[in-house]
Amino acid sequence: MTSKQTLRSKQIMFTCFKRFLSANKEYQRSEEYTKTLPVFDYESPNKERNRIYAWGSSKTGALGVRYIKQQKLLSTVRHPRRLGFGEKYNVMSVASGFGFTAFAVDSPDELKVYGTGLNTDSQIGCQQIGNKPLEFVFFPQPINIPFHNPKRIKIAKMSAGRAHLAVLTQDEGLFIMGNNAYGQCGRKIIDNESYVYNPTVTRIKNIEGKAIVDVVCGQDHTIARTEDGALYGCGWGADGQTGLGHYNAESKFTRICGDIERENIIKIACRSDFVIALNGIPKLNNHQPNIFIRYILDKGEVFGWGNTEYGQITTPDDRQQISVPTFIKSCQKLGKIVDVASGGSFCMVLNENRHVFVWGFGLLGAGPRVQQSLIPIQIPPQLFGLNDFNPHNYVASIECGLSHLAAVTTEGDLYIWGRNRECCLGLGTLNDQNFPLKVAIGGYVKQVSCGFDHTVAVCGAFTAG
Amino acid sequence: MLVTDARIIWNNLKGIVCVYKPAGMKVSRVRRTIINKVCTELNEMECRPPVKHVYISGNPSEKLSIEVKPNLADDPLVVGRRYSYNDLLCSWSNYLGQFTSGILILGLKGGTSTAKYIRENKSTRAYRIKGMFGLATEDYSKDGRVVEKTTYKHVKQIHLEKLLSYMQAIHQKTMFELCGVDIQSQTAYELATQGLIRPATSKTPLIYGIKCIDFKLPEFTIEIQCINEYEMYLKSLIHDIGMKMNSSAHCISLQCIRHSYFTLDHALLHRQWNLQNILKNMEQCAKIIAEHEHIVFQKNAALQRG
Repeated sequence: MTSKQTLRSKQIMFTCFKRFLSANKEYQRSEEYTKTLPVFDYESPNKERNRIYAWGSSKTGALGVRYIKQQKLLSTVRHPRRLGFGEKYNVMSVASGFGFTAFAVDSPDELKVYGTGLNTDSQIGCQQIGNKPLEFVFFPQPINIPFHNPKRIKIAKMSAGRAHLAVLTQDEGLFIMGNNAYGQCGRKIIDNESYVYNPTVTRIKNIEGKAIVDVVCGQDHTIARTEDGALYGCGWGADGQTGLGHYNAESKFTRICGDIERENIIKIACRSDFVIALNGIPKLNNHQPNIFIRYILDKGEVFGWGNTEYGQITTPDDRQQISVPTFIKSCQKLGKIVDVASGGSFCMVLNENRHVFVWGFGLLGAGPRVQQSLIPIQIPPQLFGLNDFNPHNYVASIECGLSHLAAVTTEGDLYIWGRNRECCLGLGTLNDQNFPLKVAIGGYVKQVSCGFDHTVAVCGAFTAG
Repeated sequence: MLVTDARIIWNNLKGIVCVYKPAGMKVSRVRRTIINKVCTELNEMECRPPVKHVYISGNPSEKLSIEVKPNLADDPLVVGRRYSYNDLLCSWSNYLGQFTSGILILGLKGGTSTAKYIRENKSTRAYRIKGMFGLATEDYSKDGRVVEKTTYKHVKQIHLEKLLSYMQAIHQKTMFELCGVDIQSQTAYELATQGLIRPATSKTPLIYGIKCIDFKLPEFTIEIQCINEYEMYLKSLIHDIGMKMNSSAHCISLQCIRHSYFTLDHALLHRQWNLQNILKNMEQCAKIIAEHEHIVFQKNAALQRG
C-alpha cells in the first residue's frame, strides 16, 4: 500500500465518521414540556399613549430630568431620553421655549397644561415651594390657567418664546403668560414690573370679533392668526419682527398689513426675530362649520419680515430690518410651498414635491462648505432616507430651532442637523452636524419642538393604532 | 455531453457555481458533496491513459528486445483514480449557517479567487426569514428548548411595519458611522448624497432594507437586504422583534434568496448537482459577472444592487 492510498482510506473513514456526527439531527421539541409552561401576557394597557422624548441641556430643567450640579453628572442629555411624565399623563402636544418646556395633556381633571424648566418670568405659572417662588422647576408641574370650563377645555396649540408662553384653546381663546416687558403678552406694558411669581395671565378671547386659530411666539413677540387668515402681532419690534411698519414695542394685537393684507395666511413660523408666512385659498369644510376652517392649499407663496441681516430676504437697498411683510421672490421658482420654518439666521421651506430648501446663514445642511446662501438651495432627498429600499419616504413636516433644524418624514423618522448647542441634536456626539441625520427615537415621531438648547418630540408607540 | 474526454472538461472547469444549499446541511458538506460528485463523474469518462514505458529485455551479450508498454507505475490501479478529492480546489464566497437554506456561491479551481473578490467586495444579500410569535426558545430557532410562552393576539401587521421601518432607518444611520470617513468632512457629505453606502468593516451587520411580506398570526415573514450578516444575528433579530411587539418570537426558517446578482433562478438544487449542470451553471454565472464587473472589482463606496 502506498502512502497516498493509506491517506485516501483514512480520508474516507474520516468522512464517514464526520457525516455520522453532522447528520441532520431532529431536535424534537418536547411538546409535553411546552404545554406545562405558563402563558405570559405583555400587552401594554397604555399602548395608545404618546411617548415623550427629550434631549439637550438639562441645566435649566427643561427636559424634566433631575439635574444636580456635580462634577460626575453630565449637564446634557446626548441621546433622546424617554420621560416618565409621558407615561403618567397622556401628552398631546409640547412647546419648547428658551430653557423651558410646556406639555398639553389630555386628562380627566382640571389640569391641562404642565410646564418644566426656567421660570424666572413666571412663564410656566406661579411655582413655589412653601412661600419661596421657584425659578427653576426640574419636574413637570401643573400650570394654573383660569379657564372657564377647565374640565372640558381642549388645547389647540401651544407656543413658547424666550420668556413667555401662549396657550391656544379651542373655545376659550388665547392665554398668554410670562414676560411682558415689550408687550408680548398682549397687555399694557407696566414699567419695572416684577415677573417673578407674577400670576397675571392675559386672556384674548378674540381679535376684532374673529376667533384665533393659530399662534406663534418669536423671541419677544407674538403673532396670532384669526379664522379669516389675517395676522395680528404684538411685542418687541426693534427688528421689525412684529410686521407693523414701525420698530417700536406694541402691547396690543394689531393687524399686520403689507403684502399679506389681502392674502389668506395658512401657516406662520418664527423662532427668533424673522417671521415667515405661507398663504393659501380658503375652502369651507361643510362637516365642521365655523369652528375649524380647513384650508386646501392652492397658493403656496411665502412672505417674510423681521431681521434679515443674514440674507433671509434680499432687499434692493440692503436694509437689515424689514418691518412690513414682503413677498420672498427667491421662493417663486420652487413651486407650491406646503410648509415653512424659520430659525435664528436661516429659513427652510418644503415644496409640494416634498423637497426641502434652505437659505440664510449657518449650518444649512448642504455640507460643510455651504455656510451662507442668499438663494434657496435644495438638500438632496437621499439625506432624508429616500433610496431604492425605501422609495416612498418623503419629508412630511419641517421645524427650526434657534440654530438647529429638523424634518419629520412620512414614515415617522426624525432627521436633524445644525449647530449642536448643548447636544440639542441628540446624535450622541458633541460635534455639529453638516447634513441631516436620523435621530434614534423608539417610536414614530408625531411632533417635534425645537427650543434654544433642547428638543422635545412626541412619538407614538409602534404597537399603537 | 458531447465531449467524452475528461481532460478537456477538467481544463474548462474553472469559475463560479451557484448552488442551492438545503437547510440542515453544513456548507462544508455541500462543498464535499460537489467535489466528490465532479471527481467521480470525471473518472467515469475517458481519462488520461498511463504513460508509455520502454522495456528493454534479454541478455545484453545477445540480442535485446525492445518493447513499448503502458507504465504500470502510472496505472490507476496503482496510483489511484485520475481525479481525486484533493485535486479540485473549491471555496465559498458567502458562508451560510447550518440552519439557513438558499443561494451559495462556490468558486471552483481558478474561480476561487473570484469567489474571494466577491466576498471581499461586500455585496448585499437578501434573506427571507420566517418567524413565529408566542414562543421564545433557547437558541432562537425552532429546535431549541422552549423558554417562554406568551400571548400574541394583540400584534397587528401595522405595528410590525412601523417597527421595521424604524429599524431600517436606524441602520441607515449607522451606515455613515461605519463608512470610515469623518462625518464632519465634505467627503462624508458627498458620500451621503449618493444614498446608500457600504461599510468599511466586514464585522458589523448592516441592514439596508427590511419589510414584512407576509403576516398570518402566529407566523410572519420578513425580507431583509443586508451586508455582513450571520445566522445568529438574523435569528436574534426575530427574537428582538418579538420582544418589541410585547410578545416573544422565534425563527422557523431562514432562506437566502439573493446574493448580489445571483437569484434563486440561477441556483442548482440538490438533485441537480452533477457535472453537466455545474458546467452549464458556470457559464451562466460567468455571463452575470461579465455584465456586472463591479461585483468583482469595486470602484465606488456607494451601494449598487450587487
